[in-house]
Amino acid sequence: MFLLPASCVKEPATTRANILVAAITSDPGHLNPAITTNGGVHTAADLLYDGLISLGEDLTPRPALAARWTIEDDGARYRFFLRQGVKWHDGRPFTSADVKFSFDSVLLRFHSRTRASLGPVLLGIDTPDDSTVVFRFKRPYAPLLSQLDVVEAPIIPKHLFAGTDPLRNPVNMAPVGTGPFRFSSYAHGTEIRYAKNADYFGTTPTLDGVVLRVIPDASTQVAALERGEVDWLFGVPGPERARLRRDPNVVLDQTSVSPGGSNCVTTVGFNLDRPIFRDVRVRHAVAHALDRQQFVDRVTFGDGRMADAPISSAIAFAHADHLEMPAFDTLRADSMLTAVGWQRTTATAIREAHDVAGVRNGTPFAVTFKVMSGMTPYGELLRAQLRRVGIDLRVVSLEPVVFAQSVFTARDFDVSIAPYCQGVDPQIGVQRMYTSSSIAPVPFSNMAGYRSATMDSLFERAGSALDVDERRRVYRQVQELAVRDQPYIWLVETTNTHAHTRRCTGFGVAAHFAATATCTS
Amino acid sequence: MTRWYVLRRVLQVIPTVLGIGLVAFMLIHLAPGDPVMALAGEHGDAAYYAFMRERFGLNEPLPRQLLTFLTRILHGDFGFSYVQGRSTLVVILERLPATALLGGAAIVISLIVSVPLGVVAARRPDSARDTGISTLALALFSAPAFWLAQMAILVFALALPIFPVQGMTTAGARSTGFGHVLDVARHLALPALALAAREIAMLVRLTRSGLIDELARDHIRTARAKGVGELSVLVRHAFPRALVPALTVVATRVGQLIAGAAVVEVVFGWPGIGRLLLTALQTRDTPILLGLFIVISSSVVVVNLMTDLIHATIDPRIRLL
Repeated sequence: MFLLPASCVKEPATTRANILVAAITSDPGHLNPAITTNGGVHTAADLLYDGLISLGEDLTPRPALAARWTIEDDGARYRFFLRQGVKWHDGRPFTSADVKFSFDSVLLRFHSRTRASLGPVLLGIDTPDDSTVVFRFKRPYAPLLSQLDVVEAPIIPKHLFAGTDPLRNPVNMAPVGTGPFRFSSYAHGTEIRYAKNADYFGTTPTLDGVVLRVIPDASTQVAALERGEVDWLFGVPGPERARLRRDPNVVLDQTSVSPGGSNCVTTVGFNLDRPIFRDVRVRHAVAHALDRQQFVDRVTFGDGRMADAPISSAIAFAHADHLEMPAFDTLRADSMLTAVGWQRTTATAIREAHDVAGVRNGTPFAVTFKVMSGMTPYGELLRAQLRRVGIDLRVVSLEPVVFAQSVFTARDFDVSIAPYCQGVDPQIGVQRMYTSSSIAPVPFSNMAGYRSATMDSLFERAGSALDVDERRRVYRQVQELAVRDQPYIWLVETTNTHAHTRRCTGFGVAAHFAATATCTS
Repeated sequence: MTRWYVLRRVLQVIPTVLGIGLVAFMLIHLAPGDPVMALAGEHGDAAYYAFMRERFGLNEPLPRQLLTFLTRILHGDFGFSYVQGRSTLVVILERLPATALLGGAAIVISLIVSVPLGVVAARRPDSARDTGISTLALALFSAPAFWLAQMAILVFALALPIFPVQGMTTAGARSTGFGHVLDVARHLALPALALAAREIAMLVRLTRSGLIDELARDHIRTARAKGVGELSVLVRHAFPRALVPALTVVATRVGQLIAGAAVVEVVFGWPGIGRLLLTALQTRDTPILLGLFIVISSSVVVVNLMTDLIHATIDPRIRLL
């Protein structure tokens, strides 16, 4: 026990001198990152595996299982030259057959994101020899390199999975990977243990091992960190951050990467099927009515910043600078709503419709706002802010699975909110919010039900352009159009706060966060 | 006669459990929320959903799914977890001992603490001591378990670092034998106390009122008239009879105890079935949920059966019913 005076503590002899204990919120259930996009599984399993490439903090592709690559046919063919001498944790050699098997038999079937994005455009994967892999596409495909890291496309061993049901293979509970750590043990509901992979092809980890400890309750996680029972928290709830900041043994770091996804922008969506929101002037008025800075101050407790464009500033090449977003101006919102026909009898009344297209006269401006249980505070603040301009918001809080079904399958809502995580490439994480083909019963797809032929063709252009400057230009047009049509209001680019004890330092980003860390006793 | 009674009661368990399975199945399938959507997360597409539905047999009509499910549980087959891909029974049995330990410890603690308090309170009803104990019992009964659990952490793990904050064992520890037992005991203390609080409150009140009733009866007056000492009156004559209703209540509390355990397990990160239930609910892992419903309800049915059988051996009249 290093956090408290030795006199008042009697801990069983800790053998964790150079072992990192990190808290995770839920038991992942299994450790196969190739069959799921679940954040919990990836947090626990990505330490054991690698992708063909890895992504640096600035999202640039770096060699991992692939030592180098070439892009041919204007981006319709990618050739990867694999690193030589890489071994699975059981000693068997890693070859191109593992890559082909991982994609064909597992990722393209069970990894929902890789299946949905690569599946429709991929023609096939060839393995001319043991250390070369070729991806052939129907047409030039720009985003591939950002979809091959361990989160999007972990490579799993063919010799242990071939001929089995990947969902029920016992290896899912005792995995064999190529990653910086090897699997030691898994006590369900309690903890997962990892040992350093001394034969790792990259930099050998300095830690002797890692323990991921399952602690479901966020306040208990904070208490465990204060007491020194764990060294690392993936996230700290707002109210507790102030307390931890005063703790001399704890360090807090802000990052745009979180276990649920990266580069998330909390976004309000209008249901454009509803007559009330069909008029773009109404959507603009609502946007002017919102004081978005308040969401940063009061809901995220400073974790994040006001969004200044539809695409996150963390995706630097695509983010549009100096975009004109609707400013907070309740007077303007008031007069815009009145001009459209939403009138109020007194300065505090709820507005009623007078000659509003598609809405019966006298209808009050009362709308249902559906929100996932964890995000209810956004709903409460939104309700308070919109009440000032005469809009009545009924906040309905639902548990996540019911929310997904109610909003994305049944489309039974007027306004809603979602933490759209935009990931590393707008073609994957942003397109799904805007293209007409993404209006589907899929969680976090095109919530608004927004359709625009111009928008569809812009994304098509961006997807096949290989030149970064060209893509930047197209995404700027995408964002200008999005702001003009306002199917969404982009509230907050959220960040995530990690916390760790001072005895452990040197953490990396995302998937292999512990690979570079070291702990002292 | 007794053998027939036992056999009849044991056979009644089967339709009860099947009935519970049926109701649980209907409830889960009527509730909103789609397991495949929960599993796929973001970025799935229609083809993926259809593919997964077929794999799990969710594309079949509901009556057929129900039939398959009921046939399976009659054969003791609870299916495979959607999320973990492992046998449901294995997953549940792995987590059951932790909850049994927590619940058992809570019952033992509640008996050890509440019975003496109840006796002390009943000896002089409406005295300052009685009022104090009754007020404490009322407070414990009213305090929600999650709040008590968090307070316990703040006080006994952070302010006074006596007990660990979370878990069942020290993270990464490789202790075995007696060291392991000691490690688990240290981790068990706070969650067991938090779970026992409400049971203590109830048992104190039951013991107290039972004993007060008992002390007013004729046989106690006779004993006192014969010159039996006050302690002996209390311990030998009044207490055993007053304890019977309390023990019956303990037996019937198994269901509530598991419900309370879910909250306590979440706060303390205790790896039991209460937490498993919550996770399975959030991910709509139907096979695990149904398995848990059946295991939990069966344990309630079995404990009730045992209580009935014990009563039947004590009281011959019950066998005739």
